[in-house]
Amino acid sequence: MKRDALVAASFLVAFLFIAYAVTAKNVLGLGSEELRPLGEFYLSNAFAHEGLTSHSPEVVTAIVWNYRGFDTLFETFVFFLAIMGALSVLRLDKEQLRQARELEKSMPHRQMDLIVKATTKLVVVMIIAISASIALHGHLTPGGGFQGGSAMAVAALLLFAAFSKFTLERKGLTLKQTISAYAVGLALILVTVLAPVFIYGGKVLEINLLPGETGLFNLDVGEYLAVAFGFLSVFLVLGIPEWVFKNVLRRELND
Amino acid sequence: MISFLLAYITITLFAMLFLGIYGVATRSNLIKKIIMLNIANDAINMLFILIGYRMVFPVFPPVYEKHITFEEFLEKSVDPLPQALVLTAVVIGMAMNILLTTYAIQFYRLHGTVDARDIAEMMGGEEE
Repeated sequence: MKRDALVAASFLVAFLFIAYAVTAKNVLGLGSEELRPLGEFYLSNAFAHEGLTSHSPEVVTAIVWNYRGFDTLFETFVFFLAIMGALSVLRLDKEQLRQARELEKSMPHRQMDLIVKATTKLVVVMIIAISASIALHGHLTPGGGFQGGSAMAVAALLLFAAFSKFTLERKGLTLKQTISAYAVGLALILVTVLAPVFIYGGKVLEINLLPGETGLFNLDVGEYLAVAFGFLSVFLVLGIPEWVFKNVLRRELND
Repeated sequence: MISFLLAYITITLFAMLFLGIYGVATRSNLIKKIIMLNIANDAINMLFILIGYRMVFPVFPPVYEKHITFEEFLEKSVDPLPQALVLTAVVIGMAMNILLTTYAIQFYRLHGTVDARDIAEMMGGEEE
């Protein structure tokens, strides 16, 4: 009990000190009218006709995929590791997957309301259209692959809540297909990143000399596919009902 | 008035950040720890966006458009760098969230508990 009070008091003291430093002394430089020099460089060069330009009116996408491309590339790799970690922990082998299907069939299928299902169908179509427009216009208007992919993942979550995982699988969206789509997205990113080396002998990720806007566009589309289907494949495994999973695991422990 | 609002938002965000770290340190339920970690994460992301904001009027997003001149764009646009950093951090935060939640769920399925004290006892650690 005494230790808890000590911890709470030390957190309070640290909070008060930082709040004083940030508001009274303004150590972070909040609320200034000036632009930082680095930000000014990006703003003035992203759409310029010469210099270190990336030919993109959308400065955030230009930073994410061109000026700080390696940062984003390795964040994609971190994302890959997180998805693969989750999938490898929740993985069921063929025999267990067959048992899970049987258990699900033996249970009477519980359905949501008609209102919920009809509304979800409408909303999901709209979310998918909006997420595609966010991702495909990422180099011209606010948006990009990451945002579009996250929006698409929300649509998938809605489908899971209103219908069930097995409804989606009956319609033909299985784990194998979502992981394939994820791999297609990653392959598109890899091809675009390596293209400058083979086409005009540039460096890796030197995409601003590719014809038209293909560099940023391809990377945005690849990231959109990767994020959307990466999340979707984890949701497909997480969507197995809890009692099915418990029964399957218990059988394995008893064997 | 506007500086008061800015200070108010900043203090609230720092309070959220410290509350999140405090929760991670003191709660023993793993799910609650993950929730508090998310609160701290979101507070940091909001702080980043706030650092990039400029006190000018009207303020533009960092997207170049035809109907504004280049000088006006440089004068009125917000800093794009914090936005670019937060953009990836949000998605990576969500992926990390999925990973942690997955581990917590699987631990619960196999051992029947997500309490850190029970786990320590189970693993043979000493009890306080």
